[in-house]
Amino acid sequence: MTAIEIRNLSKSFGAVRAVDDVSFTVEAGTVTGYLGPNGAGKTTTLRSLLGLVTPDSGEALVNGRRYASLDHPLNEVGAVLEATSFHPGRTARDHLRIMTTAAGLPASRPDEALDQVGLADAARKRVGGFSLGMRQRLALAGALLGQPKIFILDEPANGLDPAGIQWLRGFLRHLAHDTGAAVLVSSHVLAEVEQTVDNVVIIAKGRLVRQGTLAELTGNGGGAVRVKTKDDFAPALRAAGAEVEEVEPGLLRVKGLDAEEIGRLALDQRVLLTEVTHERSDLQSVFLELTAEGERA
Amino acid sequence: MTNLIRAELQKLFTTRLWWAMALVMFAFTAFGLAFLIAQAGVAPANGQPGLPALDDPAWLPLALSFASGANIFTMILGIVLMTSEYRYQTITGTFLTTPKRGRVIAAKLGAGVIVGVFFAVISLLFTAVVAITAVLIGGGSIDLTAGRVPQLTLGVFATLVLYALFGIGLGALVRNQVAALIGGIVWAYVIESILGAFPALQTVGKWLPGGAAQALMNIDFDTGLGESNLLPAWGGALVLVAYALLFALVANLTTTRRDIT
Ligand SMILES: Nc1ncnc2c1ncn2[C@@H]1O[C@H](COP(=O)(O)OP(=O)(O)O)[C@@H](O)[C@H]1O
Ligand SMILES: [Mg+2]
Repeated sequence: MTAIEIRNLSKSFGAVRAVDDVSFTVEAGTVTGYLGPNGAGKTTTLRSLLGLVTPDSGEALVNGRRYASLDHPLNEVGAVLEATSFHPGRTARDHLRIMTTAAGLPASRPDEALDQVGLADAARKRVGGFSLGMRQRLALAGALLGQPKIFILDEPANGLDPAGIQWLRGFLRHLAHDTGAAVLVSSHVLAEVEQTVDNVVIIAKGRLVRQGTLAELTGNGGGAVRVKTKDDFAPALRAAGAEVEEVEPGLLRVKGLDAEEIGRLALDQRVLLTEVTHERSDLQSVFLELTAEGERA
Repeated sequence: MTNLIRAELQKLFTTRLWWAMALVMFAFTAFGLAFLIAQAGVAPANGQPGLPALDDPAWLPLALSFASGANIFTMILGIVLMTSEYRYQTITGTFLTTPKRGRVIAAKLGAGVIVGVFFAVISLLFTAVVAITAVLIGGGSIDLTAGRVPQLTLGVFATLVLYALFGIGLGALVRNQVAALIGGIVWAYVIESILGAFPALQTVGKWLPGGAAQALMNIDFDTGLGESNLLPAWGGALVLVAYALLFALVANLTTTRRDIT
């Protein structure tokens, strides 16, 4: 069964069409990045999936069912929402104990989950004194309580330091690839998830603009190198097996060789290069275009 | 459902508010009792009847009825039980854990009943210890089965429970913690006091929770403003139950369908 299924989902807030006819699925054992600039509709989609927002039309299902109809939701889905909030006067452990009680989970789970996210030392400290990174870890501990097989995370890297982001990447990959969980993780920063995800869904202004495996989206169009030189370098490049296109006098677009190979060839041929740049991959270009548009709007 | 009620009680007892409320309640009750003890048997200069003397059997029930003054604190706890979820955005986690929202509301109301009973017990115990000591020192004798003592005790329980539920309903309706607290306190201390104090206004006041609670306890303490106009005790009880149902309904209707963003 498909772990997460979004089918023709639409949701408006007044005149704002936050999510507009979005469909995609997430399978067990994979990490899917849900990417888009701020205001694209990521949070609204994920909150619809979790029964917090009622969609205007379409469906958002986990394990084939609406979240609100689940009898033991924490055992099926672990969620970390953007700016997850805690009562500042409560300790980390008490926060998890309350969830454990309400969900009827074993009383040992809070300490185990805190251990798993590396927060055991802060278990009895009040959340009011936590850094943003510690709060994100606590939120993740909450998602782990019921040992679910589906994880939904909204911008979980926000507020984490580089080491924390590194840790999170490894952890999400571990959940998907070692425990077979389905992981859906949103971000407005491509670089944060690029090294983690198997699949990518890109949304902008509520509409789905691109979806596919990471390989599909980075593969095509990628790999070309732009070379600037006043010398006649094209024949040598062709001889080395490259496909060369003269974009304008002095500017070549080279496929089949990477920047280092081109540099070595230039050295051998005693050719002076004034610029060598890898063209951005399709994913990066699409994403940057969208982000720029989002910021202009 | 017991799990959910236990979780709601954990929410309350894992923050510091509840014992702050208990302390203020003790101070508040002690202050009221000190006044009752000091003024017992003292006749005002204008010849009006004053408070009964300490050895008068009417004094003890009057003092015990003061335990219901803790209603303001159970109301505040009820308001906070609901509004702190919105204030700190913990409502998101609550609904993720229990997506059937009606069950969350039911659990909060259940926890409200327990909080009301808990505060009624400590308020009554505190009041009884102080009042009985005062009566014994004042030369009176104690008979806890006599007069209106059992009915008063019941009335204190009902009042404190009802105000906790009232707080939860109000909190669900208003959601903003400060606004709900101000609204609730103004309601209990200003509006109900005015409508309950003057017999002419009691035609309205007797139908309000405060008036109904007064009827239940049958405190027709002569304020010198004329004969009071209250419902019979059973009528007061029915009105209070009707309010409890109303608060539960309000809390449910305002919470179950709203988007949490
Ligand atoms: N409760 C709300 N009321 C009004 N507009 C909202 C609400 N929630 C989100 N929006 C709007 O919906 C759009 C999508 O928001 P959101 O889903 O939060 O995007 P993202 O998470 O991708 O940044 C934005 O234009 C946002 O302003
Ligand atoms: Mg968002």
